[in-house]
Amino acid sequence: MTDKEKNTIAQTEIIVTGFGGQGIILAGKILGMAASLGDHKESTLVQAYGPESRGGACNAQVIISNTPIHYPYVQYPDILIAMSQAGYDKFAGQITEDSILLIDQDLVPTVDAPCPAYAISSTRMAEKLGNKMMANIIMVGFTTAITQLVSTSSAEDMIAKSVPKGTEQKNIAAFTKGYDYGLSTLKGRERKAAGQTGAIV
Amino acid sequence: MTMHNKESSPIKIILFLCNWGAHAAYQTLQDEQRPIPDEVHMVRIPCTGRIDRALLLKAFSMGGDGVALVGCDPGTCRYGTGTATAQRNTKDTGMILDLLGLGSDRLRFASFLPDESEKLLLFLETFLHDLQQRGKTSIQPAVGAQPVTNIPMNAGPELQQLIAAHDIYACQDCGKCSSACPLALIGKPFSARGIATAAIAGNLNDESVKENVWSCLTCGLCYERCPSAVNFPKFIKELRHLYKQNNKLGDETHGGFLHALMRSMASPELTPNRWQDIPQELQVDQKSNILFYGGCAPYYDIFFNKHLDVHTEKILFDAIRLLNFFDVHPRLLKDERCCGHDLLWSGDKECFLQIARLNADRLNSLGIDTMITSCPECYMTFNTTYPAHGLALNFEVIHLYEFLEKEIDRSAVSFKPLAKNITFQDSCRLTRLEDKPELPRQLLDRLSPESFQEMQESGRAAVCCGNSAWTGCDSYSKAMQVKRLEQAQDTGADLLVTACPKCQIHLKCAMEDPLRLNKLSIDMQDLTSVIAQSISWK
Ligand code: SF4
Ligand code: SF4
Ligand code: SF4
Repeated sequence: MTDKEKNTIAQTEIIVTGFGGQGIILAGKILGMAASLGDHKESTLVQAYGPESRGGACNAQVIISNTPIHYPYVQYPDILIAMSQAGYDKFAGQITEDSILLIDQDLVPTVDAPCPAYAISSTRMAEKLGNKMMANIIMVGFTTAITQLVSTSSAEDMIAKSVPKGTEQKNIAAFTKGYDYGLSTLKGRERKAAGQTGAIV
Repeated sequence: MTMHNKESSPIKIILFLCNWGAHAAYQTLQDEQRPIPDEVHMVRIPCTGRIDRALLLKAFSMGGDGVALVGCDPGTCRYGTGTATAQRNTKDTGMILDLLGLGSDRLRFASFLPDESEKLLLFLETFLHDLQQRGKTSIQPAVGAQPVTNIPMNAGPELQQLIAAHDIYACQDCGKCSSACPLALIGKPFSARGIATAAIAGNLNDESVKENVWSCLTCGLCYERCPSAVNFPKFIKELRHLYKQNNKLGDETHGGFLHALMRSMASPELTPNRWQDIPQELQVDQKSNILFYGGCAPYYDIFFNKHLDVHTEKILFDAIRLLNFFDVHPRLLKDERCCGHDLLWSGDKECFLQIARLNADRLNSLGIDTMITSCPECYMTFNTTYPAHGLALNFEVIHLYEFLEKEIDRSAVSFKPLAKNITFQDSCRLTRLEDKPELPRQLLDRLSPESFQEMQESGRAAVCCGNSAWTGCDSYSKAMQVKRLEQAQDTGADLLVTACPKCQIHLKCAMEDPLRLNKLSIDMQDLTSVIAQSISWK
């Protein structure tokens, strides 16, 4: 993370985008609630309803801040989480150099962002874990590891409270999966920067 | 044994003395009543080149503290190449002695002309002096099987117990085992059922049965197919023990060198000296609670360097590289011993138990929580065989592939394209005896080769590499290996990926067939090494 990014942590503006049925709104809600209820910060959530929630483009706008938030709409996201190509395309123009882009690499094959981008196969991983519907939770885990946006314990608490009864364990496992993968991604970048790409040096 | 004991029992030097030039020098010493040390025990031999590495090692395991191989100068050998062979054998065996922690300087080659008697005497005195400084070796004579000669093996309670314990009576005589057995299929007059019947009928002394007991590969294919679940490999293992107890010799390959080597590791006082040649860049941490167990690969590399160009120790280094890649800096055991697998599976249960107890005590004292090994035999032996023999381990034993699968699955890594068409040789221990055919395959599926094509028989049905526990290797084993290599060729592969160092050794041996050299030859690499080469951070 650059210094600039750290400074903007006081107020972080997030857009989660994808298509209806992916649990995009829930992902945004978990992030916002983890920040406010778990980490005792301020947060807002604006969700896009309407035809969008039935398979079309869909998004959640979340703001997390140390101080009261006066305006809940996000114009230039500090973090853009994209789980569909259409969703990415819609907000691509609002990304700045200081943003962080997080994508499902299988669903967003083409990106051309001016900012650091991190990719994960969240949907495929969710399928392997037994339920495609947990891709959003994997994405929350991935986001938590890469951006440190919320604490892991708050995120886990909020997941346990938000998902259908009886699926808590599975969803926590999905969160961990995304989180581990995020940490590993950061480690891999560090290693590569240090010139250690493979096992044989 | 205490130091005091060591000093009080005299040093023993075994002098293998060539009949020709050097013996004349020795005779001069005798004729002139020169003081040849009492510690020197001379064995007159036709040529130093005839003392192979197995014999050299045996001299130590039978009580020698030093071995001198004394003959003729290179170029003056009556048989031409004897001296060169002796020097090479001395060098190889010396390297093994270093690994065993005994020191290569306990084995010396020297040459003397007939008139160099005083030089010979000086050589012997110096050798003795050096050995007196070093003390006796820590190898104790092998315990070996306790003969039970008073009980005829055919009717004895031991045999009855074996038959009962392994449910041999449950055999329905259906013949499924023979139709799966690779030895029978290649045309060897061999039948698992036949051995079972012979055991029941009390015909264990028949020549053919005696031979067949040592030929079985204990590969488990028959057990896989048997409708009555007759665990034939296990039965054979115990039967071999019974044969050994009755002084019936096994059919050990390579002059018994490898068994002698492994038996010497049953000596409690022996302190092996492993991992001296570990590449500098590998990171290990002697305080780690994860131990990496290497196994016998480096011994094999030394022993087979003359005929087969095998580098199985590299697999161990690549395994450590992969652990390092995932931030594990494992502990290594400098005094690592053999796990005992081959001793147990060749009927030497006593030595196995002795090694196993030493290992269990040592390993349990380390305070580790995990042992990782890349050798399928070590894995099976520690994971399953030790506990089955009442030796509990206070840590978890996992195969490197399990570790890798778990780490890769949660990491942001990818695999560089591998410009090879690959196929895979299963390890009988990992795939069948431990029932984990999926372990290597999960990893194989992650690679990006040009193509991956399984052989005609693969996974649980895979044919083994043709030998197990270094016993009973014959022309049928070779025929079987040739068939297996042809299957590999038939897939169109140009790289045969293996999972056991021994598969590489045995299959490489078959590739040396001079008549089929070009047809059979295929590159081999262990899966561990393939992964180490191609894994990378995303
Ligand atoms: S497969 Fe089993 S039951 Fe059939 S002959 Fe062989 S040992 Fe007997
Ligand atoms: S263990 Fe293998 S070699 Fe031995 S009898 Fe069974 S199939 Fe044949
Ligand atoms: S196949 Fe070759 S290396 Fe293996 S036991 Fe037989 S002779 Fe020895």
